[in-house]
Amino acid sequence: MRNLVVHGLRFLFFVFAQTLVFNQLEIGWGIQPMIYPLFILLLPFEIGVIPMLFLAFGMGICIDAMSNTYGLHTSALLMFAYLRPLIFKTFSPRDGYDSLKEGNVYEMGQRWFLYVFGTLLLIHHFWFFMIEIFKFNEIGYILRKLVFSSILSYIFCILFQFIFLKRTKAQ
Amino acid sequence: MRNLIAFLKRFQLFLVFAGLQIIALSLYFTFFSFPRSQYLTTASGITGTIMTVRNDITKQLNLSKTNRTLHQKNVELMKQLPSSFTKIGKNVYKIDDTIYHQQYEYIAGTVINSTVDKANNYFTINIGSEQGVEPGMGVFSDKGIVGVIHNVSPHFSVIKSVLTDNINIDVTIQPIGLFGLLKWDHKDARHGTIAGISNDLKIKKWSKVYTKGGSGIYPRGILVGRVEALESVEGEAFWDVKVLFSEDYRSLQKVYVVKNLLQQEQKDLEALIPKDKEE
Repeated sequence: MRNLVVHGLRFLFFVFAQTLVFNQLEIGWGIQPMIYPLFILLLPFEIGVIPMLFLAFGMGICIDAMSNTYGLHTSALLMFAYLRPLIFKTFSPRDGYDSLKEGNVYEMGQRWFLYVFGTLLLIHHFWFFMIEIFKFNEIGYILRKLVFSSILSYIFCILFQFIFLKRTKAQ
Repeated sequence: MRNLIAFLKRFQLFLVFAGLQIIALSLYFTFFSFPRSQYLTTASGITGTIMTVRNDITKQLNLSKTNRTLHQKNVELMKQLPSSFTKIGKNVYKIDDTIYHQQYEYIAGTVINSTVDKANNYFTINIGSEQGVEPGMGVFSDKGIVGVIHNVSPHFSVIKSVLTDNINIDVTIQPIGLFGLLKWDHKDARHGTIAGISNDLKIKKWSKVYTKGGSGIYPRGILVGRVEALESVEGEAFWDVKVLFSEDYRSLQKVYVVKNLLQQEQKDLEALIPKDKEE
């Protein structure tokens, strides 16, 4: 029950933060920070893949409706959600995941977070910019957008966790 | 049959993923070319309202600049047409003159949501079909052109801005009067390019670019920008003319939607041109 409220509020927070704040930032060089994939990452470890895919779809549609991108964010977020179990398995800790924890930077550690979230974020951003630009001769431009945007998104996601999540001591 | 069910069970995750992915991608690629419905855009009621509230907060930041340009435009207009403006109904201005036939009417609107750094940028404005806006109408601002109305709801409209692929506005370069098509290379919100200018023609730097008004979407002679550079295309006899837009789309606030009263007449007449037979 408590989980439901927490994740529901986070859902709203990420949708509004992305569309009203981060979509309006115009930094130049095609940089476009996207923080909403963090929502999918912070879902409980034991959640099924199919509910997660539908959550990702719903969230993507909400963001698309408010930024006139008609399915672009949805497509990239689905990619993120579909690959999450796979990446989690690849970087699994020695004794598996503790279902009481969630995948944030405090509970799983800096290194795990960098590997897992970094990989997924790169895939998400790459898919997003590929579909958005959709020209293979612009690959250099896509890569430049990818690198700068991913770094900035990652920094914003870390900041979000510093500000909003409670620090728990590692056992 | 049992095999089929076993197959579906085995790949159900992938099938759900693929199904949703196909929905998302088809939404994206069809919406891009055909404005089918308004429900998933900022022209719809809920998101339109949210964007209006946000704009109410942020528009104050540009208020003094917006006021100044509006003031200048007013002075300019009053100089040209003393006492020839009568106001009819909400936001529609009509020029009352017996010598000239009225061709264009303008509807004033405010941009409530816009992006300039995406590959395709759409602006939302706070007027819609109730104010007489229809898809396909041209939009310009005090300083330059803005785009074409893409889709419309009762109270909001989405503009396909100059900063999109395939915008193809017909423009002329003055004073030599060359025609070309304005395009955008989705990188820089300040610059566009004009394609199809033969490279034996000399074009002066900073010569002005205006709309041609050929398709009846815009009146003739609305400023687009100035020629900033000529770049030769390798292997072709054309210039790529780089244009510096006169409008800064990053701080766009007030726009005018063009209503062409004679559009239907022009279309009907042009439909009489015999079609070229492709053989």
